[in-house]
Amino acid sequence: MALNPMDIYKLLPKTNCKKCGEATCMSFAFKLLNREKKLEDCKPLYEDKKYERQRKKLEEMLKPLEEATETGLIVDESLCTGCGNCVVVCPVHVEKDPKGAAVGNGPTIDDPILRVEDGVVKVINMQACRRYGKNRVLCVVCRENCPSDAIRFLEG
Amino acid sequence: MICPGCSCLCDDVYIKDGRVFNACRRGREIFAKYSENRTVAKVDGKEVDVDIAIEKAVEILKDAKNPAIYGLDTTVVEAQKLAIDVAEKLNGYIDDNSSFCLGELVEAVLKGELPTTTLDEVRDNAYVLVYWGTNPYHSLSRHLSKYTYYPRGKKRPRGYDEDRFLVVVDVRRSETAVLAKKNARFIRVDDDAELVDSFVKVVEGKAAKYAKDVGVVITEMKKADFNVIFGGLGLKYGLKDLNQFKEMVKKLNEVAPVYFIPAGFHGNMRGFNETLFERVGHVNRYSFGDSKSGEEFAFTELLKNEKIDAALIVGTDPVYSLPFEVSSKLGKIKSIVVDPRMSFTARIADVVIPSAISGVEAGGTMVRSDGVRVKLEPLEEKEINDVYILNKIKEGL
Amino acid sequence: MAMRFSKFLKVEADIIVARHALVMDETKSKAEAVIFLHPEFAKRGGVKEGDVVEVEASGRIVKLKVKLSDKAPESGGVIPNGIYASYLTNFDGFKKFKASIEVAEGEPTIVEELLGKIKGLNFNHTS
Repeated sequence: MALNPMDIYKLLPKTNCKKCGEATCMSFAFKLLNREKKLEDCKPLYEDKKYERQRKKLEEMLKPLEEATETGLIVDESLCTGCGNCVVVCPVHVEKDPKGAAVGNGPTIDDPILRVEDGVVKVINMQACRRYGKNRVLCVVCRENCPSDAIRFLEG
Repeated sequence: MICPGCSCLCDDVYIKDGRVFNACRRGREIFAKYSENRTVAKVDGKEVDVDIAIEKAVEILKDAKNPAIYGLDTTVVEAQKLAIDVAEKLNGYIDDNSSFCLGELVEAVLKGELPTTTLDEVRDNAYVLVYWGTNPYHSLSRHLSKYTYYPRGKKRPRGYDEDRFLVVVDVRRSETAVLAKKNARFIRVDDDAELVDSFVKVVEGKAAKYAKDVGVVITEMKKADFNVIFGGLGLKYGLKDLNQFKEMVKKLNEVAPVYFIPAGFHGNMRGFNETLFERVGHVNRYSFGDSKSGEEFAFTELLKNEKIDAALIVGTDPVYSLPFEVSSKLGKIKSIVVDPRMSFTARIADVVIPSAISGVEAGGTMVRSDGVRVKLEPLEEKEINDVYILNKIKEGL
Repeated sequence: MAMRFSKFLKVEADIIVARHALVMDETKSKAEAVIFLHPEFAKRGGVKEGDVVEVEASGRIVKLKVKLSDKAPESGGVIPNGIYASYLTNFDGFKKFKASIEVAEGEPTIVEELLGKIKGLNFNHTS
């Protein structure tokens, strides 16, 4: 389900031409996943016709990147039953909402990160997530407790 | 508001700007789609006034030799009481879905054969949580997040991965089983009786098929003064004899405190069980004619064996949920459906009486899976609800 | 050896009947004709996601659309609670029963067809 750099790398030209500014295609693959580079930065992929098929595959593969939030979180509402596990386990919620999400109820704070609305989980305030910004922590507690893969992160 | 969608009866649901907050996907549908697929009063397929439909229902019940009242698990206690009155007046049968669902387990709880507790106590105190033959992720979606595994409790302040121990027993790796990771155990069974037997044997210090898994679970249970087993339909159908399970719980209590709460079912199934139990000492499948309860008086058995000639079906959809060999017999008898929705059963019924959705358009009391009574907080009060209809029928007899 | 030709054969499956929040309809208006097969089981039987399969149990048949799910039993699948599962079960196998499955042509069985069968008896037995 999750994207991984190896799968991306396999479809790149693998020539280490450095036109993208990276030393290797592998490091370019990592940067793509972190959204520090764009696929268009790989010039040969767009200039050389023989890469067309690979390019199309890559474009398809990287689509979720556009849908993902800044923390890499992707919610697939069609898989969500609104169980609320993610809302209750979120460590930020536990700290900020001791009488709401921390004890199993719907959030009582105005700006929770996640909230179940109309039967499915919605991202409300991504900035409060521990994964947000420069000093981020790669917390995956919400995903770990989503048994239907409705929550994913780009890096897996 | 209280969500009447399942026996969790979640109490933190609210509606704002046309959106439903905190309810799970199924609960949300009840509120958001309350106006869809509504019933209209019908007699023999023709639209009529509600009062005409009620009169026709009374006529059918009066004429019937052996009438049965069935369903009632999604309506309120107040309506359930009236339905029992109607059955008594008719000298007929009364039953709900629990006779093929978790009725036996609720009965064992009410009779004190299984030690029980409340979900609020579980949240504050429970350490080992055993989900046996149930996949709450789909049937009681917020069970783990609102009441059991995930919330921080008074004596369990540190979160699920330290302060709880999750055990899932199932024949397949269900969504709930997937959650059993750290500080947890998933036990896959083919035959539930073997696992029950293993628990008993391990307590007695004997060898057993699941000794390894069971040993771990019992060791964890001994660490705490509060553990709980949630039993679902998989447990009920996995075991031929529930007495074995009762014995097992008793045995476990010799070494650690273990409580039991049934897990599954409709919003107010336990309410029906308790209401009938208070009245006649039995939780379901009761015959007023014989003054007793018995397997042969289960609605499904009565239908299958062609023992009834009319049925008053309230808020349930047997055509949808009962095996064909049973549901196909519905066509042989006179049927009256009282339901807010044009259910599959309503589509083939002789008389259809439209009602209000309990919890949305009608108030009253429901009983949570753990026996806690909850007062509904409907958005409006419709005049014609289950209480009104059943009262009219009762008066008409 | 037979496995190689299994797509032309009926395969025996363990069916679990269970609630499925994503296919339930609280308005009681419709039912989804779906079976969740374990990916490994489907592979062995030559069944793909989106195929229509004929599921036979207790001498009755329904056609259901296949979805793959690793939460299904490895030796078969899950049919959600509802009119399709009910049509195939009896109380001995209310939660779990054996069925045979084979890839079929055409569309999944519609609810009206099953209602007709239930109602059909109605016409036979009442005046």
